[in-house]
Amino acid sequence: MDSDEDDFVFYGTPIQREEDLTSRKKKAIAESSAQLRTLPPWKQEVRDEEGRRRFHGAFTGGYSAGYYNTVGSKEGWAPQSFTSSRKNRAEVRQQNILNFLDEDEKADLEGRFLGTSSQFDTFGFTAAEVARKEAEKEQKQRPSIIPGPVPDEIVLPATESVGVKLLLKMGWTRGRSIKDSHADALYDARRQARRAFLAFSSDDPKVKITGSEPIKDDSESFPEPPANEDIQSSKNTPVYVLNPKQDLYGLGFDPYKYAPEFREKKRPRLSSKVGSGYSKNFSSRDSLLGLKSGKSAPGFGIGALEELDAEDEDVYATGYEFEDTHVQEIEEPAKLSLEFQKKKDQKDQDNLPGFRVASNSDYKMERFEAPLIPKDFVPRHAFSGPLEINHKNHGIPPPDVPPPEDSNLKILIEGVANLVARCGKLYEDLSREKNQSNPLFSFLSGGTGHDYYARKLWEAHQKCIDQPKQHLDGKVPPGMKRLTAESRGQILGERPLERTSHDPSPSDVSTDVQLQFNLTDTFMKSAASISEIPYSEKPFKDDPAKQERFEQFLKEKYKGGLRSTSSSLAGDMSEAARARERLDFEAAAETIEKGKQGKGNKLLIPPSMDFIPGGVMQFTSGAAETKKDLQTEDLMGKMYPKREEFQWRPSSLLCKRFDLIDPYVGKPTPAPRIRSKIDTLIFTSDSVKSNKVEKPIAVKQDISHVQETANQDISESIAEVDVEVENIERPVDLYKAIFSDDSDDEGEELNVKKTENQEKKAEVANTALSRLIAGDFLESLGKELGLEVPPDMPYPAQISRNAVLQKEIINENARSGNLMAENNSEMSQNHGLPNDQDIAHESGPSKVDAIYGNILESGSTKPKGSIISNSKLSRSNRENGDDDRKLKSPVTSHRDYSSSLSSEEERKRKRSRHHRHRRHDAGSDSSSDDERDHHSSRSKGRKKGSSHEKSRGSRKHSKHHKHRRHESPSRSSHHSMEKDDTHPRKEKRRM
Amino acid sequence: MSVEDLPRKESNVLKEHDGAVLGVRFNGDGNYILSCGKDRTIRLWNPHRGIHIKTYKSHGREVRDVHVTPDNSKLCSCGGDRQVFYWDVATGRVIRKFRGHDGEVNAVKFNEYSSVVVSAGYDQSLRAWDCRSHSTEPIQIIDTFADSVMSVCLTKTEIIGGSVDGTVRTFDIRNGRETSDSLGQPVNCISMSNDGNCILAGCLDSTLRLLDRSTGELLQEYKGHTNKSYKLDCCLTNNDAYVTGGSEDGYIYFWDLVDASVVSRFRAHTSVVTSVSYHPKENCMVTASVDGTIRVWKT
Repeated sequence: MDSDEDDFVFYGTPIQREEDLTSRKKKAIAESSAQLRTLPPWKQEVRDEEGRRRFHGAFTGGYSAGYYNTVGSKEGWAPQSFTSSRKNRAEVRQQNILNFLDEDEKADLEGRFLGTSSQFDTFGFTAAEVARKEAEKEQKQRPSIIPGPVPDEIVLPATESVGVKLLLKMGWTRGRSIKDSHADALYDARRQARRAFLAFSSDDPKVKITGSEPIKDDSESFPEPPANEDIQSSKNTPVYVLNPKQDLYGLGFDPYKYAPEFREKKRPRLSSKVGSGYSKNFSSRDSLLGLKSGKSAPGFGIGALEELDAEDEDVYATGYEFEDTHVQEIEEPAKLSLEFQKKKDQKDQDNLPGFRVASNSDYKMERFEAPLIPKDFVPRHAFSGPLEINHKNHGIPPPDVPPPEDSNLKILIEGVANLVARCGKLYEDLSREKNQSNPLFSFLSGGTGHDYYARKLWEAHQKCIDQPKQHLDGKVPPGMKRLTAESRGQILGERPLERTSHDPSPSDVSTDVQLQFNLTDTFMKSAASISEIPYSEKPFKDDPAKQERFEQFLKEKYKGGLRSTSSSLAGDMSEAARARERLDFEAAAETIEKGKQGKGNKLLIPPSMDFIPGGVMQFTSGAAETKKDLQTEDLMGKMYPKREEFQWRPSSLLCKRFDLIDPYVGKPTPAPRIRSKIDTLIFTSDSVKSNKVEKPIAVKQDISHVQETANQDISESIAEVDVEVENIERPVDLYKAIFSDDSDDEGEELNVKKTENQEKKAEVANTALSRLIAGDFLESLGKELGLEVPPDMPYPAQISRNAVLQKEIINENARSGNLMAENNSEMSQNHGLPNDQDIAHESGPSKVDAIYGNILESGSTKPKGSIISNSKLSRSNRENGDDDRKLKSPVTSHRDYSSSLSSEEERKRKRSRHHRHRRHDAGSDSSSDDERDHHSSRSKGRKKGSSHEKSRGSRKHSKHHKHRRHESPSRSSHHSMEKDDTHPRKEKRRM
Repeated sequence: MSVEDLPRKESNVLKEHDGAVLGVRFNGDGNYILSCGKDRTIRLWNPHRGIHIKTYKSHGREVRDVHVTPDNSKLCSCGGDRQVFYWDVATGRVIRKFRGHDGEVNAVKFNEYSSVVVSAGYDQSLRAWDCRSHSTEPIQIIDTFADSVMSVCLTKTEIIGGSVDGTVRTFDIRNGRETSDSLGQPVNCISMSNDGNCILAGCLDSTLRLLDRSTGELLQEYKGHTNKSYKLDCCLTNNDAYVTGGSEDGYIYFWDLVDASVVSRFRAHTSVVTSVSYHPKENCMVTASVDGTIRVWKT
């Protein structure tokens, strides 16, 4: 105010406005009055009573203000996060005014709740409340034995109301009833108390106070039955029995009001049966009783209706319409409802009071024995009318008639005859009825070809009766033929695929018949196979018991489905013997089947031709093979295809996009699968070979390349050498200590062992090179990781040399910045690659190692130049590796769509790749195939190295090499050879 | 269908591609074909009338595979530029580019609902990309392969990939199982039978192998053609009666599915036949070759 006055000129007396005098402002002003006076108005702040800033200007408040003293979280007023999924539905949360109030507001509100002070607490309600709160508080403080809020619900502190106290003072004792005179006086009071109590208990809907309440004596609204009189006497005591509400009634509804005996009955059952299914039964039973009692009981639950002093309506009557569904639960429900009396029959505890156990019950559980299947029962469905036709045809064989000229008709007739023979007369009738209008089927009703049909039918019957094998005319019906193809396919492991051209009879009609044939074949095959076995094939003739088992087996096999494992026939056999025999049977059955179909035209398979002991032995020898193995046995030598199964976890989003339910929903991620080493080694031999062949050529190519790109490549090559270093050896222990990645190590360990010797040599060289880049970083890293880093004391000379070199390299780097950048980007792209077992890898390291060894040696004599050249060499060598990889096997080479893969072309491509480098430097953005090739090869090469961050990995390695190199002074012959190679190259370069 | 019904008569030659055509695919109803090639373009054709309809240019390197959604509204393609492109067919614009493969991408396919593109890469991985969201990150990377993945097939619930490591791996999303069928030979191309029960795998030992998907059994081997160094396509005819595939000598072969006999072979191109695609309903086939032509074959 004062400051305002400073700024403006006022006339008259300013009116003191009401709103300016709000307490908060006053306070705030008072608090900071001293400050305010001294500050100009634009620096004054409005604060609330607690000294917090409540108003924020656009320029002074903003983000932090909102966060620090208004909102309470960085995100501001974060809306309630809504999550809902198929499994986890969003819950509807009951919101309450209290959810939206601040603490201080709640505190304010606290004072507004009305309550009776204990002084006027006539009915003890407030006292109870207070006591409850007290107990709650207490309970919070001490750890409860039973965790959770349970004790609070169970134990309710009982308080005595003033009324009770008064009564007690008047000489009333607990347990005595208050007679009518009292009842009237108490009625209203109790009612009030009840209502108040109801309000209280509604906070806690789970808790229900039932039963022995003092309400019982309000005779005005609920005239007590006289019988209850003596019970009442004990009911005046407020006994708080808390029953968890487990039923579906309204709060306070008591179905046992008029039948307290049932409550007693129910309790033990409740405690014994706490199942999910029970509640339903229980409720239905109770509902029945509740209805029988006529009216709903008075209680807390019917508050509104209670007010009417009239008879209560049965508000619950409609709720139970499923009354009848669980009649079984109730012992004699009908009687119960009809003649319930207040007779107390305490003799029998198990019975309901007032009931006796019936001496004779109408109800009897009827159980029927499963029908006995006759021994000779053949499990196949027969149409009702087949037999008579059989007999009829048995007697008079119709004369042999020449078939009709129309071949279609002939086929049709034969087909129908076969069908009818197998399926019975009913089928004939059916098809006659169906095809009445069709002239083609006129033979059924005596038209053309009827004679032929009759003959065919008879023949078919003969076949059916005797053996389907015996075709009198030696003709195989089309159905049989098809069966043959099918089963052959089965034997060969083929999948039956529809071939339209397969049909021998192209006409439409016959295909129809054909289809029907197939159908019946499918259904009838089993029957035919079983029935014919006993007659024809007895592969185990010499052993009747075995033969019997075999037949049993066949029967089961063709019946499908139920296969009795506990065959009584083979009861005394051992498990292994049974298994072997089973295989025998399988094989024998297979052969029988084959023979049957293969030699369809033969009258009879010579009995037990294939199954004389020798034949059986043949099968036994191959006992390990199951039926399926028989099919694939010709492939066994190749061992392919080989099927393996693994766990695989699809991401949940993928499942969602495929509209499938995530099979792993809610489960932790499975452990990464360990790759089998066989995978790694599949192409190893190839790659090694091709490496050897290709190397000389590649080296030559690279020499030219080295010459061409003398300057620019230095930095690049060093960078790449760096990459290569990490490819070469992986110091297993250190590496593992840092990145324990199974799949990496597994592949690498092999390599490490193999190339141990060369590795040691190469380590020396690697150290020198990688230290150029690594510098001191390694040591700090080592320290960070808590690993012992050996001092590099023994190599002072090298370090100094390195220092010089590093300078130079820096210069080079600056010059070829672009190039570097390109490389880096490429490298970084490749680091994330899966570091899989790699084929070419094995050969790669050894070669490169050797050259590295060389590098060191030459480096010691001619420090500057040699290192440059060495790095170049190593680069070229690395490229060799890449090329080798390319050609290691057909595997990689096909990726080149472009051209054939003769070595000449390969060379050409390589050359062009080198050209590309120059082009690239010149800034031309060509995207030729060569470039692509180069990219791919390079990336391939690196990818094999490591999946981890390059710089870290490589530096660590180099460090590791450093302290290992003491032990590896010797060099192999391979290395010396490589050394020789390098000299001419160097010469060339100088020229 | 008899042997006479095999599409052996040349009905159209489509010459627009400069350089090798690497892939040719019928669309869902067989009215159009899409081709892609070394000239970095994807081309849309009407093979029945021999009309070139549209060219899709955006790839930076050769395009190796292309697939179109069943409703013909979107395309996906992949190639040497390590990206998977998601195109709008009508406008010819790239809707999204999925980067992440660390090598060339060999094959792409849409899933049934066109919501996911699955790509198979030289980086030994299969990646599933989400077309619905704007995320360009793969929603799943399958990297259990030990070598370049050459081909991919999708069913309603499965992702099937064929790899140079000699395996055909089936990833069942519903069961969370991976089934690996090792054939022992680099797998170039996989193709589902129309009944969905079999997989035809073109291997680099000049053999096509027919696998039972449920059991992993080798049902049949088809030999006679040459396929030793190129990625050649193979497929079954639309009634699953014959197996067809190109050869590196420019021939097209037809085998009987059941007895594996060569029922027909004829010289179709002057150079390697890279891709074949069979019409979904009619007796019609298109082939693409390194010689830069696409030929349409009818009976």
